[in-house]
Amino acid sequence: MDAQRETLKILDEVLNLGGRSGGMSAASPLLGAIPELDSMAVIAILATLEERFGFAIEDDEVDGSVFATVGSLAAFLAGKLDGFGFSAAP
Amino acid sequence: MEAFFLAGPSGRGFCLLHEPAPGGEVQGAILYLHPFAEEMNKSRRMAGLQARALARTGWFVLQVDLHGCGDSDGDFADATWERWISDAHHAADWLRRRSGFAPALWGLRAGCLLAVAVAPWLEWPADLVFWQPVSSGKQHLQQFLRLHLAGALLGAKDDAAQPAGDGTRGLREQLDGGDAIEIAGYSLSPGLALGLDAARLAPPAGSARLFWLEVCAGETVELSPVARLAIQTWEAAGWRVSAAAIAGASFWQTVEIEDLPGLIEATTELLGRVA
Repeated sequence: MDAQRETLKILDEVLNLGGRSGGMSAASPLLGAIPELDSMAVIAILATLEERFGFAIEDDEVDGSVFATVGSLAAFLAGKLDGFGFSAAP
Repeated sequence: MEAFFLAGPSGRGFCLLHEPAPGGEVQGAILYLHPFAEEMNKSRRMAGLQARALARTGWFVLQVDLHGCGDSDGDFADATWERWISDAHHAADWLRRRSGFAPALWGLRAGCLLAVAVAPWLEWPADLVFWQPVSSGKQHLQQFLRLHLAGALLGAKDDAAQPAGDGTRGLREQLDGGDAIEIAGYSLSPGLALGLDAARLAPPAGSARLFWLEVCAGETVELSPVARLAIQTWEAAGWRVSAAAIAGASFWQTVEIEDLPGLIEATTELLGRVA
């Protein structure tokens, strides 16, 4: 499973970017750079990740740094997938 | 369509019964189990549209508001998971007597967890219909508790109303200690929260048919990874599973109320094929 591709798909879905995620790379900034990404959107992204892959995310696993860039969010997802039996390519 | 109150073990439950058109062939009966908290309100329209579509093709469909929800008796604060199981059981028995058919259970989101919890109590092997099932009650509860912390989670400083530092774990401790908590306008009792927390989407004994429908936004429309794994488990337990992914928005949580005719068509078609 390609963690970055999954990350971009979820960002596009939850934030309603209408395909804008297609132009993003690992270095693309998220928090503070995408106006749609407010605190409720962060909650929705966490919920979508949990429901799509079946893992649980604890409060203390997540802070602003996870949502710094596409790459940091993809790395977080890859780490969770590794621990959950999906083989992930970050 | 007939609206009425069904007297049950924990007061009166508000019901909507959709009956097949007279003269047509009757396919069977289905009990709808609604999702949790705000998702119930968001999905009321889609549930109603699906119920009418099924009735047009020969199904009895009963929608019941669980204790403390919608127009039924009681406050949300008094609802417990056990009480909801008993409400659903009572409604299923009533629908069987009224229709003459052993009802299937159709759940949306946490309603699927409730369907799985009710199925073992029924006197028949109930077919199950899942709409975007919640796979783990624990996860669903955690997400609900997290609503309380939207700002605090990212260290936002603009939200002074957030409790400092106690997180969802603090809320869990209050529930474990027997205290109700207030989240997003709902007073959540330990009896409801801890019952939900323990609920799992595991196949009940007595295998029948399972119809699994998921909604998916984005370009590639496919079942989620977690659904694909779960379906293998259900099949291994002897269930005959039909699954479909439908393109569309998450109507149970979108800000604007959304219609998803594709989901209604797919559900009606899948059920019609085996009736």
